[in-house]
Order: sequence, then C-alpha cells, then structure tokens
Amino acid sequence: MSLDDKLKSLRENGIDEAKRAQRLQELNDLRVNLLGKKGPITKALRGMKDVPAEQRPEIGTLANNVKKDIQQAIEEKMTELNEKLVAHQLEEEKIDVTLPAAKQIQGTKHILNQTIEDIEQFFIGLGYEVAPGYEVEEDHYNFERLNIPKDHPARDMQDTFYLSDELLMRTQTSAQEGRDMEAHDFTKGPLKMISPGVVYRRDDDDATHSHQFHQIEGLVVDKNISMADLKGTLEALCRHVFGAQREIRFRPSYFPFTEPSVEVDVSCFNCDGKGCRICKYTGWIEVLGAGLTHPNVLKMSGIDPNEYSGMAFGLGPERFAMLKYGINDIRDFYLNDVRFLEQFKGVN
Amino acid sequence: MKISVNWLKEYIPVTHTVEEMANKISLTGIESSPVELGTELTGLVVGHVTSVKPHPDSDHLKVCMVDIGEDEDVQIVCGAPNVAADQYVIVATHGAHLPDGVRIKRGKLRGQESNGMICGLDEVGVPAKYMPEEFENGIYVFDEPQKPGTAVYDLLGLKDKMVDIDITPNRADTLGMRGAAWEIGATYDEKPNFKKPELNADKIKDLNEVDVEVEEKSLVPDYLLRELKDVKVGKSPLWMQRRLWNQGIRPVNSVIDAANYVMIEYGQPIQAYDLDKLVEKKLVIKKAQDGDKLKLADEDKVLNHNDLIIASGEDILGVAGIVNGTVAQVDENSKNILLEAGVFDGASVRKTAQRHDLRDDASNRFEKGVDNGIVSEALVRATQLVDEISGAKEISKEIVGNYTEAKPTVIEGSVSHINHLMGLELSTDEMVGILDRLGFSVKVDGDKITVTIPTRRWDMAIEADLVEEVNRIYGYENLPNTLPAGMETRGGYSQKREFSNKLRDVLLGEGMDEVINFSLLSKKEVDDFNTLNTEYTKLLHPMTEDHEYLRNSLIPGLVRNIAYNQARNNNDLSIFEQARIFARPKGQTRPNEIEYLSGAISGNVISDSWNTKSQKIDFYYLKGIVDEVLSFTNADAKFEYEATADYANMHPGQTAKILANGQVVGLIGKLHPKYQKDHNVDETFVFELNIDALFELNEKSIKSQSAPKYPSVSRDLAILVKSDVENAQIISDIYENGGKYLNNVTIFDVYEGKNIKTNYKSLAYHLEFLNPNDTLTDEEVEKAFSLVKDSLVEKFNVEIR
Repeated sequence: MSLDDKLKSLRENGIDEAKRAQRLQELNDLRVNLLGKKGPITKALRGMKDVPAEQRPEIGTLANNVKKDIQQAIEEKMTELNEKLVAHQLEEEKIDVTLPAAKQIQGTKHILNQTIEDIEQFFIGLGYEVAPGYEVEEDHYNFERLNIPKDHPARDMQDTFYLSDELLMRTQTSAQEGRDMEAHDFTKGPLKMISPGVVYRRDDDDATHSHQFHQIEGLVVDKNISMADLKGTLEALCRHVFGAQREIRFRPSYFPFTEPSVEVDVSCFNCDGKGCRICKYTGWIEVLGAGLTHPNVLKMSGIDPNEYSGMAFGLGPERFAMLKYGINDIRDFYLNDVRFLEQFKGVN
Repeated sequence: MKISVNWLKEYIPVTHTVEEMANKISLTGIESSPVELGTELTGLVVGHVTSVKPHPDSDHLKVCMVDIGEDEDVQIVCGAPNVAADQYVIVATHGAHLPDGVRIKRGKLRGQESNGMICGLDEVGVPAKYMPEEFENGIYVFDEPQKPGTAVYDLLGLKDKMVDIDITPNRADTLGMRGAAWEIGATYDEKPNFKKPELNADKIKDLNEVDVEVEEKSLVPDYLLRELKDVKVGKSPLWMQRRLWNQGIRPVNSVIDAANYVMIEYGQPIQAYDLDKLVEKKLVIKKAQDGDKLKLADEDKVLNHNDLIIASGEDILGVAGIVNGTVAQVDENSKNILLEAGVFDGASVRKTAQRHDLRDDASNRFEKGVDNGIVSEALVRATQLVDEISGAKEISKEIVGNYTEAKPTVIEGSVSHINHLMGLELSTDEMVGILDRLGFSVKVDGDKITVTIPTRRWDMAIEADLVEEVNRIYGYENLPNTLPAGMETRGGYSQKREFSNKLRDVLLGEGMDEVINFSLLSKKEVDDFNTLNTEYTKLLHPMTEDHEYLRNSLIPGLVRNIAYNQARNNNDLSIFEQARIFARPKGQTRPNEIEYLSGAISGNVISDSWNTKSQKIDFYYLKGIVDEVLSFTNADAKFEYEATADYANMHPGQTAKILANGQVVGLIGKLHPKYQKDHNVDETFVFELNIDALFELNEKSIKSQSAPKYPSVSRDLAILVKSDVENAQIISDIYENGGKYLNNVTIFDVYEGKNIKTNYKSLAYHLEFLNPNDTLTDEEVEKAFSLVKDSLVEKFNVEIR
C-alpha cells in the first residue's frame, strides 16, 4: 500500500472511530493513539524517505490534512458528547417549581398606620409638618381653646374620660391646634401642620364605635386662607386616597372651633356617584369635618383674625380604611388577628 | 324635627318633592332626610256604623253594619270594646293595605261575613304612644260626622310628607315651624308670611288675681303669664291633633294640646297650670331645696339646690323649662287656666334635665336657646288657641315675672373680607341679596356692610357667621378649588418620629406584624407589668373594669393578642407595637407619655415544611432582633444585657434588662410559665424598648474607613469554666487583653453535660486579629493570644482545652 493510500485509510478509520465514540475518554484515547508521537500517522511518515523528493510536499500536505480532519472529527464528537452530558445533567436537576418557597417574611404594618402614613405623606408633600401632641390633655386645650367653654352643649357631643377636673384623655386631635398656634413663629411663614394620633371617647365598643380611635387634624394659618383653599386641599386629599376621579362637596355643619363649618362628602368610589349600598344610594359618602378656624380660636392663641385666617379639618383613619377596604367592624382593628392584619400587606 | 309640607305651605309656597327639598336643605343648611308617611296604605275610608249586634257565636265580637259610601251598608265583624252605633270610624275595605304588609280581605269570622276591618289609629300607622289615650284599647272614632266613603288619609295626616331636619346645636332656631320656614324659604328664595296672632280685645281684663315672683332673674330673663277664666277643657280639633301626633306628641286635651302646638309652631315651650289647684295664687321661680320632691305621674323626683323650680306655696308645680308635675295639671275639669311662656338658662336646664334623666322637647329647646323676641307673641298665640277652642270668658293682660328686651344683633363686616374668606368675588349687590333672603337687613357703606340680624337668629354674632350664611346660600358647589398660596414651607416628620419609624421598619423587616392595642387597661394588667415601678393613672369615671387605667406597659396588650390568635389556631406569632405608655411620677397628676417599642413572639420561627424542619423561637432569636433594632439606633452607646429576676411575671432565669451606658432602656425575656398558663399562651418571649430614652442617646459620628487590605489571622480558644460565669464577662476580658489588633471575638460553641464536670461548661471562641496597615506576624498574634489565655486562667480559673 502506498503511503498515500495508507494515510487515506488512516483518515477514514480515524474519523469513523471518532464518530462511533460514546464517551469523552474514548475520544481522548483516540487522539493520543492516532495523533500522538507514537501514533500510526507519525509512524507512517517515517516511510517518507522512500517517497520521491518531488512527491514529498504533496504527501506532507496530505499528512497534515489527515491530522486536521481527524482532529476535527474528534472535536466535533467531543462537543456533541459534552452537549449530551449537559443536557443529561439539566434533566437530572429538574425540580418542581410549584413546591412552596422557603419563607422569607416581612411583617405587615397595621392597616391603620398604613392609612395614616399615606395621608401624612400626602400632606408632607404639600409642606405640612407632622405634630403628634399629647394623649393626656388639659381641658384647656381640648375644649376651652377650641371655643368650647364648660357647659357648652357641644361637650355633650363628645363624652369624655376625665382624669381630674382639668385633665382628660383627649377627645379630638384638634386639641393640638392651640399648642401649635402658640408655638409657631409667623414671621417665618405660615403654619401648616397635621396632627395624627389616638383619641378617646366614653363610648361603648360596638361595630361602629370604639372608645379609642384615631384622628388626623389638619390646620393651616396664614394671611390668605379661604374656603376655596380648604375645598381644593380636601379634594386633592380625597383624590389621593380614593382615586383620581373623585369629587367632594361641602355641606353646612357646626363645630364650635370653626366658622363656617362643613361636613365633607366624597363622590362614591364604588359606584362613581350613581348610587349603591355603600353610599346608601346617595352617590356621596361623608368622610370628614372641616371649616375656617373660628376667630375666637385664633384670638385665644394671640393671632389677629383680621390679619390672619385659618382652615382646619379632622378625619378618621378608621373610617377611611373601613370605606376603602370594606371593613365592616371597627373592632377588627383592635383585635389584631394576624389573618386580618396580614391581608393588608403592602396596600399603601 | 319633622317639617310637615302641609303645615309649611301655610307660610311659603312649596312646589318640590320632599326628596328634592331634603337634598337641597342638606346642601345649603341643615342635614335633612325626606319622610313620607303611610306610602303603603290603601283602601282606608270613613265608615258610619249604622247598627251593632252581638255576634251569635262570640262573647266579644260584634256584627256591625257600616255605611262606607256605597249603595248598601257592608257587614263588618269587629272585636273592639268601644264600637257603637252611629260612630264615624276608619274602615279598611276589602283589599286594603295596612302597615307592615297587612292586607285586609273579605272573609268570615266565626261564621259571620266580614267585609273589612274597623281600625284603631295604631293599626293605620299612628304609633300607639302618640295616639289619644281614650283610643288606646279600641278603634278610633271621629269626633264629628264625616262623609262615609271618603279617604281618611288627609283627615288623620296618615300620608303626610315631611322633611326631617337633623339640626346642629347652633341652629335651634329651626326647632319651630316658623324658623324652619325662614330657613327653607331662604333656600328657595321665598320669604315666609306669618299671621300675627290676636286676642279678642273684649275679653281682656285687668284681673290682678295672680302674682309672680322670679327669684333667679339671671336664669330666667323672661317669664310671662296669662290667665284664662271659665274655659271648657275638651278635645282639641282634629287638625291640631293630627299635627301633634305626627310630631310625636300625644294629644291630651284642648289646653295642653294648644300649648304643645305653639311650641312646635314657634319653638317656644308653653306650660299650662290649673289655677284652682294652686295653694296660693302666686308663682315663685326659685332654686329647689335639697330633698324637695316633684310629683310626676309615675314617680317622684328628688330635687337638689341647683334645680330651678316653679312653686306655689309649698307645692312644686314643675321644674322650670323641663317638666310639670301632676300638682297643677290641667284636666277636663279645669276651669281657670294659667299659661306660661318663659326663657330659662340653657346650661341650668341642661344640667337639671341630665341629672334627673328628664330631657324632652321643651328642655331640648331651652338648652339650645329660644328666640326671646317672640316670647310674648307665642304666649298670645297659645292664649288665642285656647280661647278659640275652649272658649274663655275673660283673659288677663300679660303678667310679667321678668322681661328682657330682645335686641337684634348688629354685625359689621366688609364685603372684600367676606369674599376673601370664601375665596369668591361676589358683588355687594349679590351679597346683600343673599342676606336679604335670610331676612337680614343690610346697610351698605362702600366696602362696609352693617347687617341687622333678627332675634330669631341668635346664633349669629360675628362676621365669620356672615361668611357662612353667604357662602352656604350662594352654594358651596360654586366654590373654586384652590390650594393655600402662601410662602413655601418645609413639611416633614419630627426627628423623633423619623427615629421611631426607622426602628419600626427594622421589626417589619424581621417579619414582625404590627398591632395596635387599647391604652386603657384593667387593674390586673397594670399590676402585671409595672416594670417602670410607676404610679398608676386612673380614669375618674371608667366605663368598664377592663378599661380603667392608663397602660404602663405594652406587654399586656401583646399577650392578649397572642392569646386571641392562639385560641384561633394562629400559633406562630411575631408581633410588635409602637405606642405610648403612661408613667406618673409620685406627686404629679399628669402622667408622662413615653414612646415604647415592644414585641412578642410565640410558636415557631420556621414551621415544618417539605424541605425544612420547624425551628422553635427562643431567647436568642428575639435577642437577635433586639440587637438589630439597637444597632439601627445609631447610638454612641454601650448596650448590655443584664440577667434579672426582678419581674414577677417574667421567667427568672431567662430575662434580662437592656442597658445603654448602664441605664435601663428596656427588657427582654420569657414570660413566666405560670403567667403563660394563666393567660392561655404558649411559650412566649417579649421585649420592650424605651424609644424616648434611646432617642436621647448621642448619635455615633461615622467617619468612613476603607476596608482593610491586609488579611486577618484567627485563633480558636476552648475553655472549661464554672457554669455561672457569663459569656459577656469572658468576651469583655478577651477584648481587654487581646491587644490593639484584636478585631473581633465570637463564641461558636457552648456545651454542658456529658464528659464535662458538673457545674462547669465548655465554651469555644473565635478570635480574629487584624492590622489594617501591615501583615500580622505569627509572633505578634501568639503574644496577644497568650495574654488572653493567661488572664482568663487568672481571673476565672478556666481550664484551657
């Protein structure tokens, strides 16, 4: 057999063997055996001396090509086997992704605090400071400074837990108004504050009453505050809380510390004002009370009502949350059943 | 108060439905709702009973023939004891609808045909308590002949349409039909027309028979009487009766009814006395003496010295402005009558009415105020009605106990300022027009307006009141929406609030749910965790024993939450609360309000799952959370845990005080097993942290350092030490002796028991040395390590293993 034929036959066999290999090891062996220094190709090339000189370059090229071809066949097969191996591994490692997770738990903020903070953030954005106030308050700030002297019939509207003749559990966060007004330096600009917190009333606890609940008081005192400012502010608030399509309306009301006083209704977010069970078929839901600060209240804090005017509003986070999430019983907020609490994960 | 449309029509034209009116009145003045009585009623007609025969098969039933305006009389079987021939009655004819879905059908009663039902007032919708007493146990009988077959609704007011106004305390001027007519009239731009009451001048005499003395003139600014002689007390006319029972007032007799009618008409309560029952012909209005008794129909009220009474000699006729006793009550035999119209101090009336639980229509009006400009006129009106209905022979002139001239309020305002407060730009004419609709007279002088307010609007006092009147009548719906346009302000939380929010976020991140509990606790609960050893703060008038004291710890609330949840099979719990506790120093009445952050965990940290084993909570799990909170305080302070057995309801071997620079800022530990059992909770760990105290600690000043580039060198150290030596002691000793390159010490093993001698434990520590500026040599590390070991041997007698 000529060297030429020998090389060709080596190529044929080599490629054939590479193709038939089943494992990577076989291919490695094949490479060492066929292409190594002791391999048959190297051996065959030793017969080069018998080849006529003019044919040697041709045989040389052929030998290189044979090596290259076999090399390529081995590599191709290796790639193929590697891919199979990976595919096999992936198959092996397949898991049931529907099995439950290893739990990573974040706690849930109480829905009332979520509601309060949502409203706080809204007002902070409008430049309001958040002032907390006292839960045990003086009769003076809770009533008298709000134009509710002793024997005022309005005191009947709020049955009060007293600690002594002069000390009580505050019945309204409005109690903070007097304190904030007397502390504020009006030369530095307007007073804009909200005061969230717990208030107390001598009420029997039932589905709609709680002897302890929350309020957020708002107060702005400046030289140019008007009813229109109050309406614009509260409409923006209601849109923030209840949705961009909401409108509000004012109805005349009475609070001793505001004049005019209004109840504020928001157009029903459930039926869009068409009338449904939630809005008692009126299209409107009462959400808060508000008004312009009574001149007496300003005067008692040393503010001249001819120069300054104020607007004030008070809202109930319980009521907001009950409306927004369809909570029917105010007691749910205070029972703290974790199944109730955890359903409000991240709603605000 | 319910404003009857039929009645209102006497004063202003009414063209709208009650729904429309209620809506409009709600938006411009007073919250109102529409009321339509008897919408379900049908088939009710006047019947004339032509004959009554006993029922052949019944003792109490009667067989009546009744003319109901048809060709022939119909037979109706009736069980009422008071049915009799020739009565005019209410007949529910075949097919009639009565309240509560009752339907009347032709049928047989014990074999006798019955073509309907003869009705009592309560059967056709008048509440039993408001119908005349004589008809309480039987059918209603008209006083006067009516045309058989005519519908009864208008005669009896059964289908009256009304607007129910729910007034705020400042608008008591609408607690009379006339005041309501002014208010509703202003809404619709209609001025009401009132007839001025007049007395028959021929009957008015100088009688001079009754004397009156008002002792408490400051509490009784007006007190007027009129005497009527020789009246015949009887029933009041049907038009008056039906208006009264639709107002929720039971008709009694022609005098008392007239007095009540005038109260509804004018808002001015009127009282009536039987002059012949007075022991002296003199009324004295004075304070009662403690122990005085007022005789009422069903009980005696024991009065006290704050109660204002109307007395005659020794007799107490009534409590001023609230209720009359039975002593001088007008009845059908009364002949000579005294009518009273007074104004009594609201606060005094309110307290007395509250004290004796006697609030009623009259006291409600005095509490909120009455128009002292119409006292005299209301008395004339009552006198006129009594005279017209009951025929007096003589009428006295007004007898004056006290009289205060009613002066209209004058308010000065500025058109521009009022506009300014509304955020509107009404012209002077527009503004004056609105004030005129309300019946206020206005004088204009440039920008200045001077508004004279009639006495019926005693709620009006200052310019701000004008703002409200103008704005509401103009319509709040016409206000623009603007935002305050003053100087910019920087909004935000207080620093302390930012601080507590930050700590709260750590707990949320640690998987704890936030709860909110009540601040008012029971005596037992404040006893249970008085960890601050503070005086209690008690409510003066608690409603229940459960909510009697201000909380001095958040832990009782958390324990209640754990118990509530575990009773419902929510067993794995991790909860916290951030709220105030109330700590009262001795000698101080006002408690200090201190912000606390408190948490409780119970059950498993991780519950059993397909690939994890459950892990029970323990002290160290909660301590890890507390450590994380403390690290977020960013305080420049040394925090330590000091074992304590000071708290009765905490486990004495698993509780620690938390110290910051040696000061107690909280506690952590396990609830006492006995306490757990008493409160039905599983093994539970709790902590509390005083946020106010943590907030006061100095902030750490942080200067950035590059992470060290040189490697650290470690040494492990195992020691055998007496069991009562605490880890913290060892650690602090290691740090003390480890030299400047000792960077960190951690404990990685604690072992007691097998192979360790009794009362000893084995501890293993990992020490890490680091020189940020150079590579440490073995010699340097070894030297420091030996010093550490030597010191431990010397101080704690440890055995190095």
